[in-house]
Amino acid sequence: MFTTGSKLFLGATALSIVSAIVFGASVGGSAGMLGTIGLISVSVVFAFLAGINLFTRDGNLAATESDVERNAAAAQAGVGRSMWPLAAALGAGGLVVGTISKPVVFKVSFIVLLAAAAEWMVQGFSERVSADSKYNEGIRKRLLHPLEFPLLASVGAAVFIYSFSRIMLNIDKDAGRWVFMVIGAIITAVGFVFAAKRGMGKSTVAGIITVGALALVGVGIASAVSGQHPIEPHPAATAAVCLGTASEVQIEEVDAKASQSVAAKSNPLANVYLTSDEQLYALNTGIGNVQYHEITVPRSNAVHVLFHNDSAEPRRLTVHLGTFKAKDGSEGSEEAECTTALEKGGTAFLSFKINKSQLASSTPYRLTVPGVEDQEIKLLVP
Amino acid sequence: MDRSKETVSTLGRMPSTRRHWSRAALLTSVGLMLAGCANNAPQDIFEPKGENSKKIDTLQRPVFYIAGVVALIVIGVVGYAMWKFKDRGQDIPEQTHGNPKLEIALTILPAIILAGISVPTVITVFQLDKKTDAECIINVTGQQWWWEYDYATGQCGDVKIDKPIVTAGELVIPEKTNVLLRITSRDVIHSYWIPALNGKRDAVPGRLHTLRMQADQPGIYTGQCTEFCGLSHSRMRQAAVALTAGDFQKWVDNQMKDYVAPEAGSLAAEGEAVFTANCSKCHQINDLKNADGSPVLSEPDLYVVPGVAPNLSHLMNRTAFAGWTFDLLTDECRVKLWNAKPADFGAMYLKGITPECFEQVALRDWLRNPPGMKPMFVDPNNLSSTGGKYRGMPNLNLKPDQIDQLIAYLLGRN
Ligand code: HEC
Ligand SMILES: [Cu+2]
Repeated sequence: MFTTGSKLFLGATALSIVSAIVFGASVGGSAGMLGTIGLISVSVVFAFLAGINLFTRDGNLAATESDVERNAAAAQAGVGRSMWPLAAALGAGGLVVGTISKPVVFKVSFIVLLAAAAEWMVQGFSERVSADSKYNEGIRKRLLHPLEFPLLASVGAAVFIYSFSRIMLNIDKDAGRWVFMVIGAIITAVGFVFAAKRGMGKSTVAGIITVGALALVGVGIASAVSGQHPIEPHPAATAAVCLGTASEVQIEEVDAKASQSVAAKSNPLANVYLTSDEQLYALNTGIGNVQYHEITVPRSNAVHVLFHNDSAEPRRLTVHLGTFKAKDGSEGSEEAECTTALEKGGTAFLSFKINKSQLASSTPYRLTVPGVEDQEIKLLVP
Repeated sequence: MDRSKETVSTLGRMPSTRRHWSRAALLTSVGLMLAGCANNAPQDIFEPKGENSKKIDTLQRPVFYIAGVVALIVIGVVGYAMWKFKDRGQDIPEQTHGNPKLEIALTILPAIILAGISVPTVITVFQLDKKTDAECIINVTGQQWWWEYDYATGQCGDVKIDKPIVTAGELVIPEKTNVLLRITSRDVIHSYWIPALNGKRDAVPGRLHTLRMQADQPGIYTGQCTEFCGLSHSRMRQAAVALTAGDFQKWVDNQMKDYVAPEAGSLAAEGEAVFTANCSKCHQINDLKNADGSPVLSEPDLYVVPGVAPNLSHLMNRTAFAGWTFDLLTDECRVKLWNAKPADFGAMYLKGITPECFEQVALRDWLRNPPGMKPMFVDPNNLSSTGGKYRGMPNLNLKPDQIDQLIAYLLGRN
């Protein structure tokens, strides 16, 4: 008289009641209290669901007529062979090994286990759909292909892309260009040949593709093993350049940090303007049109300031990040960061973070423009 | 064979004991649902106390009512269908497939309702996003598991703030003033929410999100972090306190006042020494001086993950601590303050934590073992994952007499 669905929920109810009792008895304090209340709530929910399923009989009139199911022709067929129990066992084993060795083993095993469970379940189901095994196989495919195809395709694409990227990272920048062009040309050419020669056998096509794929993956693995070509960092402006005490070296990108946080661009703490007559002021985000000459900066907080240069000269904005005693007690030198030199009308981001109170520094924190005298914006760091 | 005449099942009616059960289940669930209602809930979203939350309220009420009516109709129809066509051994009812007129009607009707709701929604969204009419700016930064407030210098309503003010947990604002919070985070994503004053706003590292705050009347408005942010997320609370312009001026003056050193030789003076030795590397107390007259400077960037710890200069001007979770006020005094009439609230609040109203138990527990009150992630014996830094306040293994001295000292930080 109990339907399948209600059995599940009744079981879950019983389990959660037992867990509530065990948990409540064994864990003390407020955690025990909270956990027990949680588990009791869970059991109430399960009991409620069980009740609904009982009342509606799973919304499935045939659910209670189990004789029909047992005697059906489909139920009489033998069970076919399956590789999924083996795969599931491997996955479960890997799971255990993964917990004590590497997390990646655990993750892969988990995926294998999931996939095997799904495949096994659907196979078990499809073998009992009808007495006709061909039809059953069709049902299995119909259920699983929409899952299997995209999954296998994305695994394939991932392997392809990963191998290719390893190759590109391994070879030199200029050679890379040629390799890219040549491989692209070969793939296009092969595609043309396939399209033109309609009579070509299926196995020939498969053979060619397999050889190509194996070559790619092989070279990819070899490249991954031999490592990357060195990547040169962008040159950064030294504090001396920012403070205007060293002469300019042409720098392509200075504010490497700002480009790393794309979000910064929509969220500046303030906009700083250098007017055409070389006056410096800030608009504080949130307050309309009041010109500020000081900005309050919370400590240990990465902040972003957007600099607009409206003066005729190329100008950069420099943040003075203070002067601190070195560990050995000797007087340090002033730290600073800056934007690139901007032409008239240019804007650039300056991102910085100040960890210490202004009292800790022997020089004030502030924003200045090297080459423009008597203009500054104080940075207040409490 | 005509299937509609076929009898599908011979199962009997539900036995009467089962009906008793389902009635009991119904009563229990209604009871449980009603238990969720409370008349003294400070975080009730249906009780707006400021301009912005009122805008949300005028929008959400009609939407809620419409949605309620729609829900009742849907539930009613489903319930009726379940009851009416329950299997009692009768014939299968007539089956129909496709009814273009009905389907078109049932597509157009919700579309009209949604289009109707979207107009005021979009208008309200833009009104709540406005950020050019602020009369006061406060930087709000979340970190595991407390909020820091940095008051930017400049005008705040009618009051001029000359030096930055830093506090924690309790946001103090002038009433009837458009305050703009600039919200961000120093570690993970948090979310700032004072239900009586406005909706939520996420605090995202590297981004600055603004949130309008305005309170019609003096009073205390509570809230909590609403983005799961780690083990002690439930102990990351906050409150906004609104004061009249005059009272706000007094509060600001108090924040600016000079450091009050404890009387030499007192228990509190011993506490000052304990503080300088054990606490000042993380906690700033403004103008605290070393014996040689140099300022005592905190360097939380070297010791805690987000690089800050609460400023304790005016700890006793807040009513709760450590993520605004544990009371500094005794129950009696707290109830009085919370229930004070708007006209009396400010004066009561500005008194701060007086010795009579000081609830010592929680603060003593905190100094004895902070992670015991607020679970914190980092294992103090293995700080390698955080570069040697703590998350939250570590247990400092203070001795009982050190705690007595510290309590005496902290009581003077008002
Ligand atoms: C390693 C850094 C560190 C040290 C040392 C430290 N604290 Fe803390 N303290 C913190 C952090 C971080 C918090 C915020 C914890 C939270 O709310 O989750 C905090 C919170 C507090 C608070 C609550 C403040 C508020 O307004 O919410 C008090 C009071 C406090 N600490 C007192 C002390 C005292 C007294 C000492 C010295 C015995 C001390 N702390 C030493 C890091 C530190
Ligand atoms: Cu949080």
